[in-house]
Amino acid sequence: MLNTYAVVGLFAVVAFTFPFITLLMARMLRPRKPNPLKNSTYECGMETIGDTWVQFRAQYYLFALIFVLFDIELIFLFPWAVAYNRLGLFALVEMALFIGMLALALVYAWRKGILEWQ
Amino acid sequence: MAQMIIRLTPELVLMVTAFVVIGVDLYTRRRIARRLLPGISIVGLILAAVAAMAQWTVREPVAGTLAADAFAFYFKVVAAGLVIVVILAGTAYMQQRTRFLGEFYALLLAATVAVYIAVSANDLITLYLALETLSILSYVLTGFLRGDRRANEAAVKYFLYGAAASAVMLYGFSLLYGLTGTTQLEEIAQRLLAGEVTSELNWLAWPVVVLSLVGLGFKASLVPFHQWAPDAYEGAPTPVTMFLSTVSKATGFAVMARLLVIALPTLSQYWLALLYALSILTMTLANVIALRQENVKRMLAYSSVAHAGFILLGLVAITGLGSAQPFTGLDGVLMYVLGYTITNVGAFAVVAAVEDARGSTTLDDFAGLIHHSPFLAAAMLIFLLSLAGIPPLAGFVAKLFVFAPVIRSQYYVLAVVALVNAVIAAGYYLRVVKQMFFVPGDAATSTWRLARGMEVALWACLIGVFAVFFFMNGFTTWTVDAASAMLGL
Repeated sequence: MLNTYAVVGLFAVVAFTFPFITLLMARMLRPRKPNPLKNSTYECGMETIGDTWVQFRAQYYLFALIFVLFDIELIFLFPWAVAYNRLGLFALVEMALFIGMLALALVYAWRKGILEWQ
Repeated sequence: MAQMIIRLTPELVLMVTAFVVIGVDLYTRRRIARRLLPGISIVGLILAAVAAMAQWTVREPVAGTLAADAFAFYFKVVAAGLVIVVILAGTAYMQQRTRFLGEFYALLLAATVAVYIAVSANDLITLYLALETLSILSYVLTGFLRGDRRANEAAVKYFLYGAAASAVMLYGFSLLYGLTGTTQLEEIAQRLLAGEVTSELNWLAWPVVVLSLVGLGFKASLVPFHQWAPDAYEGAPTPVTMFLSTVSKATGFAVMARLLVIALPTLSQYWLALLYALSILTMTLANVIALRQENVKRMLAYSSVAHAGFILLGLVAITGLGSAQPFTGLDGVLMYVLGYTITNVGAFAVVAAVEDARGSTTLDDFAGLIHHSPFLAAAMLIFLLSLAGIPPLAGFVAKLFVFAPVIRSQYYVLAVVALVNAVIAAGYYLRVVKQMFFVPGDAATSTWRLARGMEVALWACLIGVFAVFFFMNGFTTWTVDAASAMLGL
C-alpha cells in the first residue's frame, strides 16, 4: 500500500521540478540579444490602445456557453468515431440521441434569439 | 435491454416531458403555451408516478448502478406528488413575475429526474452525479427571477455552499473508494465486512463518515451545514422554496439512508454517534432561531431545518435489521418525510398566496388574514397544527413513528430533547395563528381571490394532511415495505 503511494509521491516530485529545470536550462543555454521588435507583443494579438481594464459586453458569455456545447460534443464524438466499427448499432443510436439533445439546445438558443447580436 | 427500459420508465417519461415542454414553449404562441405547459408537466408527473407505482414489488439492480426497489419507488411517488402541488400552486405566482414559464417547468421536471436517479442510485459515482445535477438545477431555480436582487444573493450563497459541500463529500467518497476499491454500495459493504480493509487503515473510518455526511447534510440542511437554507428559502421564488424544502430535502435523506444502511453498516457505531449529535444540534438551534423571526417565510425556513433534525431521529434509532415491522426507525424516516412534506408544501403555498396579495411575507402581512380569506387562514391553521404535531393530522403520525423507535431504543435523553423542541416549535407556529385570527389587519377588509391552481393545490394538501392520519394503516404498509427493501428483507 505505502509502496504504491511512494511511486505517486516520486512522480509528483519529478512533475513539479521538471518545468523549473527545463526553464533554468533554457535560460543558461539561449543567446540573449534583445531588440525592440523582439520585445514587442506577439502571437497574442496587438498592442493595446488605452487601458486594458475595460468592461466587456456580458453578451459574450452566451456565445462562450454555446461554444462549450459543441466543444463537449466534439470530445465525445472523436473516441466514438475512432472505435465506430467495433461499437455497432447501440453506440450509433446513443450518439444520435446525444447529438439530438445538444441540437435541441442549439434550437432553443436560436428560437430565443440568443444568436442575434444586440 | 427491454427490461432495463421498463425499469427506467419513470425517469424516461419525465425526461421526454421536459423536452416536450421546451418544444411547446418554443413553437406555440405565448398565450396557448401558458395554458398548455402546466397541464403537460402534470400529466408527465402522474405518468411517472404510475410507472413507479406499478413496479412496487420489483427489487433488482438496473444496469449495475441503479436499484429498482420499493424504497426508491416510494420516494419517486412522493416526489411526483409534491412537484405537482408545486406546479399547481406556483403557476399563478410565476406568471406574474417572469416571461420564462417554459424554462421553469422544464427545469423543475429535470430536477425531478435528478431526484429520481439520486433516490435509486446504487453506486457512488451515479449518486454523486445525480446529487450534483439536482444541486445545479436548484441553484438556477433559486435565482430564477433575475431582476430580484434577493433571489440573486440567495442563489450565489446557495451555489458557494453547495460547491464546497459537494467537494468535501467527493473527497469522502474518494477515501471510501481507496479503502474498498469499488464504488458499488453493496460491494463496499461486503469488502468492509470481509475485513479486507487492514487494521492500519481503520483510522480512515471517521474521515469517511464525516466527510460523506457533510455533502448529504448540506442537501438535507442539517446544522451546522444549514446556513444557506434560510437565505435560499427566503430569497428564492416561493414555488422554488416549496420544492427545495420538501423534494430536495427528502432526496438528501433518501440518499443518506441508502448510503449508510447499504454501504456502511459496519461503520454504524461512527455514524450513529454523529447523527445523534447532529439531530440534537439541528432541532435545538433551528427552533431557537425560528422563535425570533419576523418574516413568516424565513420562520418556516428555520422550521424546515428543525424538522430535518426530527427526521434524523428515525435514522439514529434504526434497529430491527431483520424484521418487517413498523417502528424500526427507517420506516419512521419515510413516514416523517411524507407527513412533513405534504404539510410544508401546503404551508409555503399559503405563504405564496399571501405574498401575491401583499407583496411581502412579514408577520404583519398575516394580520387579519381571516377577514381577507377565511379559506387561506383555515388552511394555514391546519398546516401549522400539523407541523406542530397535533392529532388528527399528518404531523402527529410523523412524530409518532420517529418517537416510538427512539423510546424503544432507550435513547431517553434524545426523546426529551425532541419533546422540548416540539413544544418550542408550537410556540412560534402559534404566533402566526394569533396574527391570522386575533390581530386586526388594515381597516379595509377586502376579500382576496385565489387562483384556481392554488385552490386545487391547497385542497390536495389539506386532504393529504388528514388522509395520512385517518389511513395510517395503509400508509404504514407502504413505509414498512419500502424500509424492508432497504434492510434487505
